[in-house]
Amino acid sequence: MKRRKAAALFMALAMATGTLAGCGGAGNQPAAESKVSEPVEETAGAEETDDTQKESETGQADSGEKVNIKLFTGKIETIDVMNEIIESFNKSQDRITVEQEYQKDASNIIKIKFASDEVPDIMTTYEQGFVDEGKYMDISDQNEWWDRMSPDMKAACTDVKTGKTYRVCTNMTMAGFFYNKEIFNELGIEEFPGEWNEFVAMLEKIRTEKPDVVPWFIFGSEAWHLGHLIEFIPHGYVKSNLGTIEAKKAMLENDQEALKFADSDGPMAVFAGNMKELQDKGLINEDILTATNDNCVQDFVSGRTAMFSNGMWAISSVLEASPEMEDKIGFAPYPAYMQGSSPVVLSAEDSGYSISATTEHKEACIEFMNFLFLPENQQKYCEVAKAPSAFKDVTAKWAPEAVVSEVSAALDGAVNIGFTNEKPAGFSGDDAGRMLQGLFAGQYTPEQFAEAYTDAWNDGMGSAGDEEQ
Amino acid sequence: MKSRKIGLHQFMAVPAFALYAVFFIYPLLKGIGLCFTDWDGIKAAHFVGLRNFIDFFHDQRALSDIRTTVLFTLGSAPLLNIVGLVYALLMNSEFRGKSIARMCIYMPAIISPLIMGYIWYFLLQPGRGFLYHFFDGLGHPEWFGNWMGNYKSALLVIVLVNVWQYAGMTMVIYLAGLQGISRDLYEAARIDGARWVDGFLHVTLPLLGPSIRINVITNIIGSLSVFDIVMSLTGGGPGYQTETLSIYIMRMCYGSKTGYSVAVAIILFLIVLIPVAASSWLMRKKEED
Amino acid sequence: MTFRIMNEGKGMDIEMKKILCGLRYLIIIMISLLCLAPFGILLILALNTPRRNFYEGNMFVPDFYFQNFPDGWKQSQIGHAMLNSGLITAGAILLIVILGAMAGYAVARCKNKFNQTVYLIFLCCMMVPGIINTVPLYGLMIRLHAVNTLWGMTCVCATLAIPQAVFVFTGFIRALPMELEEAAVIDGCSQMQVFWKIILPLLKPSVSAVVILNGFGIWNNYAQAAFFLQDRAKHNVPQALSIYFQQFAGARWNIMAATAVIAIVPVVIVFLLFQKNLMRGLTDGALKG
Repeated sequence: MKRRKAAALFMALAMATGTLAGCGGAGNQPAAESKVSEPVEETAGAEETDDTQKESETGQADSGEKVNIKLFTGKIETIDVMNEIIESFNKSQDRITVEQEYQKDASNIIKIKFASDEVPDIMTTYEQGFVDEGKYMDISDQNEWWDRMSPDMKAACTDVKTGKTYRVCTNMTMAGFFYNKEIFNELGIEEFPGEWNEFVAMLEKIRTEKPDVVPWFIFGSEAWHLGHLIEFIPHGYVKSNLGTIEAKKAMLENDQEALKFADSDGPMAVFAGNMKELQDKGLINEDILTATNDNCVQDFVSGRTAMFSNGMWAISSVLEASPEMEDKIGFAPYPAYMQGSSPVVLSAEDSGYSISATTEHKEACIEFMNFLFLPENQQKYCEVAKAPSAFKDVTAKWAPEAVVSEVSAALDGAVNIGFTNEKPAGFSGDDAGRMLQGLFAGQYTPEQFAEAYTDAWNDGMGSAGDEEQ
Repeated sequence: MKSRKIGLHQFMAVPAFALYAVFFIYPLLKGIGLCFTDWDGIKAAHFVGLRNFIDFFHDQRALSDIRTTVLFTLGSAPLLNIVGLVYALLMNSEFRGKSIARMCIYMPAIISPLIMGYIWYFLLQPGRGFLYHFFDGLGHPEWFGNWMGNYKSALLVIVLVNVWQYAGMTMVIYLAGLQGISRDLYEAARIDGARWVDGFLHVTLPLLGPSIRINVITNIIGSLSVFDIVMSLTGGGPGYQTETLSIYIMRMCYGSKTGYSVAVAIILFLIVLIPVAASSWLMRKKEED
Repeated sequence: MTFRIMNEGKGMDIEMKKILCGLRYLIIIMISLLCLAPFGILLILALNTPRRNFYEGNMFVPDFYFQNFPDGWKQSQIGHAMLNSGLITAGAILLIVILGAMAGYAVARCKNKFNQTVYLIFLCCMMVPGIINTVPLYGLMIRLHAVNTLWGMTCVCATLAIPQAVFVFTGFIRALPMELEEAAVIDGCSQMQVFWKIILPLLKPSVSAVVILNGFGIWNNYAQAAFFLQDRAKHNVPQALSIYFQQFAGARWNIMAATAVIAIVPVVIVFLLFQKNLMRGLTDGALKG
């Protein structure tokens, strides 16, 4: 009997090693395999259904037969308004039917779709890696869209490496500090400070004069929020210091001479030191590691916190929680924290759409996007998305009057920075946010944080860099 | 008897295996080769030999994830079995409201992790949640500290919540085993003058053999590949402190290190295989004695 | 029954018996309450008016506002998702139980090389992290035209649960006495008939265990559903809840909680049905007969 058991165990192990050995042979040509599998799947796709064949014919021939196009989105807040627009488009003609697919982890799921050659025709996700691989259609010459936008906006949509444009962004979004004007007025704070030392002094003033109020609320249980802090403050400094295009290039080439992430007096270490100081002085909320966005909104509308950092999308939840906040919301840039730098505010492209390079229904996609970009549809969209339009001919009441004027004042008074798409593929904003969590949990000193950040950045770059050789 | 053994019934495992081969083994064999590549999910893959496996042993984050995963399993797998068995013994008798009580115990296991995540959020948030207010009501808010902000206590909470949530599953298997034990055996033991402890040790436990084996093995596998509960309680945080190997694999898979994530998945498989094979062998040996 | 032995054991007088009986009840009630506590929170949330802030006022006393339930039902389209989840779960469970029991029988009773190998493969694959499969499985499903179909999702869910089911059934079939089958064979039954007429009825407790262990996981499946049920009309319960929760997160906790409660109700009913009908088990008849 005993021998049988031993044999069973041995077989189990042999199984394991067997599978390993088995794929050792296959593993010699995985690259080839993935290349081979493409045509295989294409033929499978061609055989697919009669529908798809008809579709592909109509895509080129425009013969009036039915076409199905898929729109893939990760933007939860606009699902309903998009469905509304799609429905009226589908009704407006009987040739093209658009379907919207929403996914929570859209940027993950799109990778699987690309890997399986089942790519949606239009998508709202956009990644440098897929740009480099030529997965998106070049839409540089869609002048009926670009003519309606400012040149800056087109530049923001354009890929720095190739100079071509692979997506069109219909909106702008801004990010900075949202503060409670009522609290600021009570304490006699006239102007939001533009310099870090003054900023800290202001937080201290709030702390001492209003002990029940948290000066700055950070909802650190959500890694994306901490990732945004890094994106807006230290990366913001790099972008304002080097200039948008130079900063993008430095990040793409991982030019640490310019970025200086690891320096003990560089943007990362100083930022980390500043955050540690605020934590030690009790100027940010104690429950930073467990607090959520929802907590932040609740505390803000009930006057228990004076300010928080976020993007414009935060307005809708604040107003939903308490419509009376409308006149009390102030908006300000991030104060300058490095020697000789200026305050920055995010003013970036938003709501981008890309067309798959392999779509069989290019015209249908463009026809739908023309419809989507009609001023009346964009107006509806802006009001739901709480974001001003990128089109010059669209006027939308995207936020309450008081907020809009706050925002334009902030934009005028600070360096406007864009969003960085040129970050390493292997080091996401969430990853950066989790490192900042570690800092708040006491895992790093500021210097160690800067080093760890640089290592993770290089590592994330490194894996991509190796492959290009 | 022997001559009749050749029959259709010998091939009764074929349908299950066929289904499994199509939807699991075939994709598995296709996917496993990626462990020798640098595929990032975007660009074409290149063969890198064993580099992913070598890299793993220099990967501080992965090694600390192994520690977390193993510590979690050491706490969770034995506790699940003990608690599950106690529940099953308590529930395996006639009393009023038996089915309601079983329902209650099993309830936590039937709720989707999504909803559980929200429930924990309302329950455990320091300074805000129900538990804080409960202790506050008792006049001792300080009893409820920031349990999720510290590695040791966070890990302990995760283990306890896991036991709380899944002990019902272990109980179901033990109950099914207990149902199979004939009442006559107890009668016989009682007539022989055995005490309850003797009855438990000499009648119940040996006859529970199959249930014990199923539970020990599934709990080891489940605990070593724990994912949902950690994601909903801490998200692996603060930082990466409570991250488990399964979460790491998922993050690597979508974080431009797909080839590497497959290699780590194979390492996780080996980590699971060792205790499962060992306990399986031990239990069979015990049964034979 | 174990307790009867304890109670009637030597040296126990009637007083002692009463105390122990009461103690047992107390323990069962406490365990049940502990397991139910989080649902209490869910219920309290669900019964608050939509505008009420969770953190204000007395948390433990809800407003008894029932309008959340019809509102949540309408807004979330959960009804359709429940139908989808129900069909997928029923189909997958049927596959798992029939194919799993057949395979378990073959493995337990016909120890040929094929069956043993199949069993070992199942055991090993139970330990393989499923993430390796993601990309190839998605490609396969596209080629089979199984994406966005309920049958495709059913097959995938059944596949994921089959190894454990085979493992459970094999364990319990091995523990069944051979005498019954041998007698049946002598009476002229074929081995196939033996399986359907004798083994399957005897497996009732383990069938119920397998149904309970896997059913809720399939009902709550999110990881696979995200890939294979993309169409909104095909969404299952966790997908529908997830979208609904995200659209209103932070603003309408109370309606969200009410929707979550609605999603739990059918699960609770099914559990009660199964455990009542199937948990009676062997002690009542089969083995004694």
